[in-house]
Amino acid sequence: MSEVVLLQLIGLGVIGVGVLILLFIQSRFPRVIGFVMIVLGLFSLIALSIPQMASLPPAEEKFDVASIKTANDMAMIGQKIFFSKGQCALCHSIGPSESARCPDLKGIGAKLSREFIYESLTQPQAYIYLDYRHEGPPKDYPARMPHINKNPIGLSNNEILSVIAFLQQMSGEPITVSPSEITMPGQPAPVKTPAPASPKGKAKGKAKGKAVMKADAGLVAMAYGH
Amino acid sequence: MRNHEASHGRDLGGLNAWGLSVAGLALLAGLLGLPVTGWAEEAAGASAQVSYRDFPQLGGSRNIIWVIAQIHLLLAGFVLGVPIFAWLCEIVGWKTGEKRYDKLAKEFTKLLTSSYATTALFGGILLFMLIGFYPKLMNYLTDIFFPSFVFYCVMFLLETATLYLYWYGWDAMQEGRAKVFHLFLGFLLNVFAFFIMVVPNSWATFQASPVVIAEGSSLARAWAATWNPTWWPVNIHRLIANVVLGGFICGAYAGVRYLSAKSAEEREHYDWMGYVGNFIGVFGMLPLPFAGYWLMREIYQYNQQMGITLMGGFLSWLFILQAMLIGVLFLGANYYFWMGITYRIPGAETKYKKPILAMLVILLLCLGVWMTPHSLVASLEEARKLGGTHHPLLGVFGVMSAKMTVANLMILVTFMSFIMYWRAGKEETATWAKLARAVMSGVLGVAAIVVIVLGVWGYFVPAIVRINYFSVAQVLIVLFVMLTITPLTALLLKSARTTTEMVWGRMPPRAGYALVLNAVMVILLMTLMGYARSSSRVHWHIYGVMRDSSEYAYSPALGYAAAFMSLNTFIFCMLVAFIFWVATMGDKAKAGHGAMSAMAGGSHELDERSGR
Amino acid sequence: MKVGTHLKPALLMVGLYLFLKFVMPLFTAPLPASLIMLYLMLTFSGIMIFMTLSGTSMESFLGPIFRFISGDGQDGTMKMARLAVLALFPLLVGWQTYTSTAPSTAPPAENRTVHPAPPGEFAAMSNPVPNTPENVMQGKGLYAAYCSPCHGLFDGKGPASRGFNPPPANFKDPTTIAMLQESYLFWRIKKGGVGLSVEGMPWKSAMPRWEFELKDEQIWKIILGEYDGAGQKPRTWE
Repeated sequence: MSEVVLLQLIGLGVIGVGVLILLFIQSRFPRVIGFVMIVLGLFSLIALSIPQMASLPPAEEKFDVASIKTANDMAMIGQKIFFSKGQCALCHSIGPSESARCPDLKGIGAKLSREFIYESLTQPQAYIYLDYRHEGPPKDYPARMPHINKNPIGLSNNEILSVIAFLQQMSGEPITVSPSEITMPGQPAPVKTPAPASPKGKAKGKAKGKAVMKADAGLVAMAYGH
Repeated sequence: MRNHEASHGRDLGGLNAWGLSVAGLALLAGLLGLPVTGWAEEAAGASAQVSYRDFPQLGGSRNIIWVIAQIHLLLAGFVLGVPIFAWLCEIVGWKTGEKRYDKLAKEFTKLLTSSYATTALFGGILLFMLIGFYPKLMNYLTDIFFPSFVFYCVMFLLETATLYLYWYGWDAMQEGRAKVFHLFLGFLLNVFAFFIMVVPNSWATFQASPVVIAEGSSLARAWAATWNPTWWPVNIHRLIANVVLGGFICGAYAGVRYLSAKSAEEREHYDWMGYVGNFIGVFGMLPLPFAGYWLMREIYQYNQQMGITLMGGFLSWLFILQAMLIGVLFLGANYYFWMGITYRIPGAETKYKKPILAMLVILLLCLGVWMTPHSLVASLEEARKLGGTHHPLLGVFGVMSAKMTVANLMILVTFMSFIMYWRAGKEETATWAKLARAVMSGVLGVAAIVVIVLGVWGYFVPAIVRINYFSVAQVLIVLFVMLTITPLTALLLKSARTTTEMVWGRMPPRAGYALVLNAVMVILLMTLMGYARSSSRVHWHIYGVMRDSSEYAYSPALGYAAAFMSLNTFIFCMLVAFIFWVATMGDKAKAGHGAMSAMAGGSHELDERSGR
Repeated sequence: MKVGTHLKPALLMVGLYLFLKFVMPLFTAPLPASLIMLYLMLTFSGIMIFMTLSGTSMESFLGPIFRFISGDGQDGTMKMARLAVLALFPLLVGWQTYTSTAPSTAPPAENRTVHPAPPGEFAAMSNPVPNTPENVMQGKGLYAAYCSPCHGLFDGKGPASRGFNPPPANFKDPTTIAMLQESYLFWRIKKGGVGLSVEGMPWKSAMPRWEFELKDEQIWKIILGEYDGAGQKPRTWE
């Protein structure tokens, strides 16, 4: 017996009990209960009479460090993170958007160096005061760039690198993040001091903040939605 | 648990209920406080923490949470709606000097004391369950919202103290300035109740429309998360809906008591009480579609994906069911008004038959349009003949422009029903009565035509023009009609001569059942929209931020959900009936019919005054 | 007892049924049974409400029916008629049970969501191609090449459209693209029928997945041309 038929039978049964109460019981309060039962049973039957459809969640994709072979793999994972755990798309858009609350990231990978993006994600206040409220017309729900590597977003180093790979790929740039930089679980992080951050074109010494990479134990298999 | 049962068994009219609710509160506060401090420390490090726990023997964690949360929310809606309702009645009683309004308000405040405890109890159970079943999610939310948890507890304590004063001081503060102070207490009660509603709303709306949380003090973070795009629309929508719930439950209570009333006084009193409940319910219901429209608009603007899931996608059929329930509610409320005319006003039957028929036909036509879905249910054969699941002619009824128009028309008709009821059995003596009547019918006719024209025109303009200007204009026109005709009628009836007195207590039993039906519809609607809110997040705990990776991440089909909605509605009705029964047990023993006749007393001028 | 009290409602119900079932198809597409049922139920509840508004009308409407069924003081033909009606009830239930459980070759009625929600990546995009006459013209050219075989002159009646069920969308219909944002169209063109979510029944749509053939910019141009050609405006928020 399918679930729908079972529920229909229950609904019919409830209505039947209600009708019996109305037919044979004269006491007022039970009659009201019977009436309510009939109403609720009818409602359920009507809802059951339309074709039933459940909404299934999309398959969860596992971020398995071992499966990353090329920089494009990283960019693909980075795209997923951009639209889910990283929460980037809560504010940023790719391409002009009507509802975006923050700067458009279209072509950002071509405009900014990899190190600068990394710094912007982990130390958003280091170079520019990224308070979007002060630019353009006032927004309904102003947002301030959070520290992506800290709570509540808390992306790991691997994940941030993947997002950078995505941003570069999306801007039509060669991806400068290489899969070898991914920290394998159990291994120490590759000791590689990043160059001082500076935006392309205007490499002035203003950027004093160093992009300190947080050595991360590496999450074996993180789950992302899409 | 055993203590709770025991104290329920004893006299609940008094302190025990209060002791219980305070105990529940203390429990709540403790619960919130203790684990939170622990979590805050481990949040950074522990990655191997449990995300979910389940209880498959009882239907699974999701179904348990579903039932508990829904009942808690319904009780909360009732507990927050009744003070508004009671306070309004108290003001009316104070202003007009009619004792029966004051008695009515007091009667419902008494129900409040016992239902308050039950609400807190279910809130406690819900919290236990949430912490048990969803540790990861609760950890995340606590991390963000901890300051508002504290604020919530403080508000709860203040609300409890105010309710003590309000209820126990009722008889002591009856006269003069003491009464004014009592009214002020009622006002305070509602202010605290409002905060008790909006704070948890921020937690729930954050899940639906999260904003990004930056670094900052915990207070700043909590405030940023609280001020999310759907917070205020939900606040307003729920506030109005709570009034509606309170009104219709009062009506249903009166209906049941009316059905089992033995003496003429009882019948008179409960007939009148049913009228007041229905009246408040209907008046709350009239602005509700506007609030819902605003909420929907904010959701669309926040995230197109979520908006489409609700209105055009997976949940679109849910809104057809919603239209059906609202339709039954509108029909039920009008039916009750019309029966009031034919039964309470002797000789009115033939006079009002034609206008009633006209209103009924308009209501049904509107409902037919509202319930016509955009994507039809069709067999393969039918779909082939149709050329898809869109009907070429009736398909146009399936979109917002048509639905907004008919919703506005139904509101207009319901409003007219009320005005007709108000004016029935009276003869206007003012010299300008004829002119006033002409103006009123002119305003109404023009408004109806404009609403329809805007609705049809809406198909030929860009969506944004329709959403921002046409729909808003329709709403404003309907509001304008209400705001002009109500005072005009009141003015007209001030000097009117009563030709036929209203006779209370003559309504047939089916009027009582109609009141019960209306209450059931409102409760069902609330459970339905609870499912809608939860399912619109699809497979996310926090939309776009934290994915639901449990086995219950799917959204169940509508039929399955409807079974749960019905179950929740039934349990809630039984709980409320039980609370009412317990709370009124003492009265009968104490006062017998003496109290009743005092309540039923008073003049029949109510119909003239209540409209103000 | 007047005959009219029962005749009028009965005539109304029958007349409405005949109108919806047989007269409507003369002018437009036939109505599915679910819709006819809905309208009849609404009419029936309207009749019940109106007839039970007052004690007298309820008595004159329901009284005879109740008396007929309870069989008070009946004789002869009325008695036989009552027995026949009472015998009809179990038959009716039996018939209903039979029709709902008997195996049938017809596929079940379906409930396809025509516009399911797009994935998040597509939700907040706007058209990067400026709306200039030149771009619109290019878009229309691309439309003619890639879309018009099925979607025709924006009316969903292209030469190849007849083979498809559901048919290609009619863009002139105010309930299709006029209700959607440009980003929605971008998603549907780029990912095609297979990109629909389950409630959209991806297996039913024949829309190709154009991302293999067309560049993003071309798709955006097509969208410009499509709105212009159909005389519609996209849904916007500001």
